[in-house]
Amino acid sequence: MAGPDGWEHRDRCAIVGIGATDFSRNSGRSDLTLATQASLAAIEDAGLTIGDIDGIVRCDLDQVKHQDLAESLGIDELTYWGETGPGGAAPCAQVAQAVAAIESGQATSVLVFRALNGRSGRRYGQADPARAGDGAGTEVVGGNVSWDEWFMPHGLLTPGQAFALLAQRHMAEYGTTSEQLGAIALACRKRANANPAAQMHDRKLSLDDYLAGRMISAPLRLFDFCLETDGACAVVVTSTERARDLRRKPALIRAVAQAGMPRGQGGDMFPVLMRESVTTLPARHVADLLYRRAGIGPEDVDVAQLYDCFTITVLMELEDWGFCAKGEGGPFVAGGGIGMEGTIPVNTGGGHLSEGYIHGMNHVVEGVRQVRGESTSQVPGAETCLVACTPLPPGSAILLRAA
Amino acid sequence: MSAADAADVAVGDEPVRVGWPAPVTDDHDSAGFWEAAARHRLVARVCAACGTTLHLPRARCVRCGSFDGSWEPRSGAGRLYSYTTVTHQVHPAFPVPYTVVLVELADDPAVRLVGTLDGAPPLTIGMPMHVTWEARGNGTVVPNWAPDEAHGGASA
Repeated sequence: MAGPDGWEHRDRCAIVGIGATDFSRNSGRSDLTLATQASLAAIEDAGLTIGDIDGIVRCDLDQVKHQDLAESLGIDELTYWGETGPGGAAPCAQVAQAVAAIESGQATSVLVFRALNGRSGRRYGQADPARAGDGAGTEVVGGNVSWDEWFMPHGLLTPGQAFALLAQRHMAEYGTTSEQLGAIALACRKRANANPAAQMHDRKLSLDDYLAGRMISAPLRLFDFCLETDGACAVVVTSTERARDLRRKPALIRAVAQAGMPRGQGGDMFPVLMRESVTTLPARHVADLLYRRAGIGPEDVDVAQLYDCFTITVLMELEDWGFCAKGEGGPFVAGGGIGMEGTIPVNTGGGHLSEGYIHGMNHVVEGVRQVRGESTSQVPGAETCLVACTPLPPGSAILLRAA
Repeated sequence: MSAADAADVAVGDEPVRVGWPAPVTDDHDSAGFWEAAARHRLVARVCAACGTTLHLPRARCVRCGSFDGSWEPRSGAGRLYSYTTVTHQVHPAFPVPYTVVLVELADDPAVRLVGTLDGAPPLTIGMPMHVTWEARGNGTVVPNWAPDEAHGGASA
């Protein structure tokens, strides 16, 4: 059926099950075990059996391959698998792949997962020795479309350092302040304080605490950074028709979108520093496409889960998703715009900044909780939740709707 | 930047940043940049058919589709586009503090290059910068950047 973008998927699929492990600094178990446990929880939540799952979609940075998870779970007839990325751009695109697989008849019920020992294993906050070398002093880096040769020989090594360059530029162009970035950290922390599963559930954060946090890569401080986390999240996607027969209230997938931007540069992170402007994310293009496909606009969104690898990411996403004007993100958050009583409550589980960094998949899970009415920071009467995985590279997003 | 060039080191005498990795110099799409850098020449990849600068460098011109290009000289004058002082160490070879600068070429704003300043020098976005040359442990020469003295910046 042709729609405004050539394919009408509006409300035809739903997320029917969600699952998560505990979030910690040391899970004491493998990535595969984490993926398996989150998946079993999602299948159970849906009221399905392992035998009902015939598709798996993974993130390109996951250590667990689809065949590993299928073997661990005992899925005998896997008819579809997919993978997308790069990295944090994946989660909503993984859901979009599941929708595509179901709508095209390649699968009926698709498991979407992300598992990582992000603190006890490979830490994204440290330079990747596979790319930057081990410090012996004779390494040669880059080449083969990694683009690393333009950045790493000068000490530009991590996502936090790249986002610090964006934050510094945003401050210069728009007058954004550290206190305004702090308002984002505080909002996420308050949501985490209400969420028993959040790693920062018991840790309050004041603006003074935020400002006293040690500088990591100026202007970004400790609490501008997300939490390196061990854990996993998974969701089950199926057709809305099938969802009606299952035990949980389905979260209808109103629309999905993936988008880059004109001359957005390649690579997975650092090349975006060559974009004509670094203070507009591909989020703006994902937003245009998603709103068009969904037939709604930012004023219709009740609550949003915005990818928050860093506070500055949220600030720019708020602008690019149309919740405030470009350059107004600072005053918007400082004025309470993302609080529970604000224009758009954001990251109601605590987000990457204070719940845990499951690379965007915990945002999908929290989005489902909101439209089910089950969040620990429930937005009263929330019917529409945006989940946006729109950091540096191309981005993806979904709009969830209460059934 | 003839003044900067005159004050610069001779080829082969570049200061070495000990322990820091070197860029690959034999990638098909970027080798010409590093060949020029070894002679202290700053260049940019330019489409031979339509003159578009292609940065980061790649073979095909995204504007006209030509695969013909050349490495054309640039002055070495730039402006500070952004910067960050790194105070949390993430790799054994990169002791902190150091400051990463992102510099836009004055005569070709399509090109931004990264450099490193020791410590935490006072910087302002938009301030004029000029290219300098330094080496890595294997002898590879890379461009680096320093604030112009006239604007009160410390030399790297």
